[in-house]
Amino acid sequence: MRPSIELEVRELTKQYSPQVSVGPISFEVHEGEFFSLLGPSGCGKTTTLRCIAGFEALSEGSIRLHGERLDDRPPHRRDVGLVFQNYALFPHLTVFDNVAFGLRLRRLGKTEIADRVGRVLQLVDLAGMSARLPAQLSGGQQQRVAIARSLVLEPRIMMFDEPLSNLDFKLRIQMREDLRNLQRRLGKTSIYVTHDQTEALALSDRIAVLSHGRIEQIGTPSEIYERPASAFVAEFIGSSNMLRARIVEQVAGGTIVITEAGLRLCCSGEPNGKLNDSADVSVLLRPECVHVAAPDGTAMPGQNRVSARIVDVTYLGEDLHLSLDLASGDRLRASVKNATATRGWAAAQPVEIVIEAADLRLLHR
Amino acid sequence: MDGARARPIWAFLTGPYALFLLFLLLVPFANVAMYSLHTYSPTKVFLPELTFDNYRKIFDLYYVRLFARTLRLGLITTAACVVLGYPLAYFLARARPRVQALGLFLLVMPLMVSAVIRIFGWIVILGRKGLVNQTLVALGLEPVKLLYNETAVVIGLVNIFVPFMVLPIMASIERVPPNLEEAAQNLGANWYRMFWRVILPLSVPGLISGCLLVYSLSISAFVTPALMGNARERMAGQQIYDEVLVSFNWPSASSLALTLVLLTVALMFGALFATRHASRRETAR
Repeated sequence: MRPSIELEVRELTKQYSPQVSVGPISFEVHEGEFFSLLGPSGCGKTTTLRCIAGFEALSEGSIRLHGERLDDRPPHRRDVGLVFQNYALFPHLTVFDNVAFGLRLRRLGKTEIADRVGRVLQLVDLAGMSARLPAQLSGGQQQRVAIARSLVLEPRIMMFDEPLSNLDFKLRIQMREDLRNLQRRLGKTSIYVTHDQTEALALSDRIAVLSHGRIEQIGTPSEIYERPASAFVAEFIGSSNMLRARIVEQVAGGTIVITEAGLRLCCSGEPNGKLNDSADVSVLLRPECVHVAAPDGTAMPGQNRVSARIVDVTYLGEDLHLSLDLASGDRLRASVKNATATRGWAAAQPVEIVIEAADLRLLHR
Repeated sequence: MDGARARPIWAFLTGPYALFLLFLLLVPFANVAMYSLHTYSPTKVFLPELTFDNYRKIFDLYYVRLFARTLRLGLITTAACVVLGYPLAYFLARARPRVQALGLFLLVMPLMVSAVIRIFGWIVILGRKGLVNQTLVALGLEPVKLLYNETAVVIGLVNIFVPFMVLPIMASIERVPPNLEEAAQNLGANWYRMFWRVILPLSVPGLISGCLLVYSLSISAFVTPALMGNARERMAGQQIYDEVLVSFNWPSASSLALTLVLLTVALMFGALFATRHASRRETAR
C-alpha cells in the first residue's frame, strides 16, 4: 500500500526581489519518511524550511499538512517541530525547563510535564542532565536537548536545519546514526536540510536536490547517485568526471560517443531520457568506476580500454586518488582502494584504464 | 620594548587621568566631607568645631520630605523611561543596520542640544500660552497648568534620560539571537508569551543598568528641576545649590551632597549585586 501523504508543498514560491526568488518548488513527504532537502548554500532549501515553519510568508503556492492548509497559520500554531542549526536553546533555562517550555505553554499539569520531559530526556540519553544549563553542555548534548524540546510536543513533522554542521567530524557521524535510529524507532516524518551530500545519502529515504531555487531531482539515495537527472546533480553528489561529447551512432552494445578531445567510448548506462543521434551530451563517469590495469591487456566486450599516464597520486590512506591523462588528451580522476598492487604507482607511469560501458551515463547538456 | 626591564606601562596609561581625578575630584570631595563635619557660621562660612549637626538635621521633616520627593521623582522618571524606552530598544535592536544607525542618531540628538535651550523649547510647548494650551483653548477647553510643577520636571527629565535607558537595553537584546524568538514561536508561543518568557528575562541585565543610570542621573539633576519646577517642590540638587550660593551654608550643603552621593552609591551596589545574581545562571560555565 502506498504510504499516505503527510506534507504537500505545491508550487511554493518566495519572491525576495525582482531578481532574487526561490521556486516554484513542489514535493510530497510521506508518513514516516525521512526526506532531505539537499543543495549548495543559496539554493532555497532553508527558505523552504522556513516557509513550512511559518517564519517566511509564501509569495505563491500552498503547503498542506494532512490535507489542511498550513501556510495561512501563524508559526506558533503549525505543529511542526524545528531543530535549529545553532540549536537556539534558551540560555536562561535549565535542560528541564527548555524541554518543558512548549508543554507549559499548553498549560499541562505539573506531573504530566515532569513525566513527559523525563521520558523524552531518557529517549535522547540525557536523563541525568535536567538541572544543567545549556552553557554547561557539550555541542552534542545541546543538540539532543534541541531535539528533545521539539519531540516532547509530538509534532506531526520534525524538521532539521543543518543540525550537525556545528559538530566535529567524529561526533557528526555518531549523531547521524543516533538521529537515524531515533527517527526509525519513532517513525516520525522528518524533513532534513543539509548541504552535505554524505549526510543526505546516509540518512534519507528520499532526497530532493535543489539548485538556484528549483528542484533538480527527487529520488532515493541510490537513484540520485546512480541515475542523476542532470549534470548539476551528478557533480553535486559525490565526485565525478564529466566529459563533453557528441553521439555518433547507436550499436547493439550501447551508444558510441566521441569526446571533444577525440576519445571514442561505448556507453550502455541508462541514459537520462531520450537522446537523439549527433546530440551534444555529457558523459558521467564516477572516479571509483575507473579501473587501472597493467598495460597490454585486451578489451572484453562491453568494456572501454584506453592507455593513459598517471599525472598525480594523492595518498589518503584507505583510498588513492589518481589524476590521469588519457592518450586523447582528456583528463580523468580515479579513486582506487589502497592495496599491494597500487603501492608502486607514481607520477608519469604509463597505465591502461578499463571502463565498463555500463558505468558511463549520458546526460543532456 | 626592552623585555629585561619591563616598565610599569599601566602607570603611563592610567596616570594622566588618575592625576586629573585625584586633584579635581578626590581632593574637592575630601574638602566637602570636611565641611560637612564643621559648624556653620553666617560670617566665616564654617567654624573649626567638629559636629554631626549637619547630618542630624537631615532627619528634620523638611529634609526628609526633600529626599523623599527627590527619590520619588527619580523613581517616576525611571519608570517612564522604561515604559517609553523598552519598546524603542527592542525595535532598534532588531532593526536593519541602516534603520538602527538612523534611529540611534535621532535618539541621541537631543543630548547634543544644551540643557537650557532644550528646556526653553519645553517652556514654549508647555507654558500658559504654549502650544498645548493654545490647542486646548482652540478646542474650547480650559487651559491646564503644565509648567513649574512636578509633572513638568518629570517630562523634562524623561526627555533627556530616555537614551540612557534605551542604549543598555538595546545592547542586551542584541545579544539575544533572533532565532531564540523563532524557537519559542515554533514551540507554540505567540509573540507576547515569547516576549515574557524569552526576551524580557534575557534583557534584565540591560534593564538594570538602564534603570541605574537614569535613576542616579535623575536624583542628582539640577538644571531641569530648577528651570521647569518650582521652589516649594524642589529636588535635592536645587536645595544644595541654594545652600551653597544663596544662604552660604556650606556645611549643610556638604552634608546634603554627601547624603545624595551615599544614596546613589548604595543604589549602584544594590543593582550591581542584583545584576550579578540575575546573570549568574547565564554565565555559569
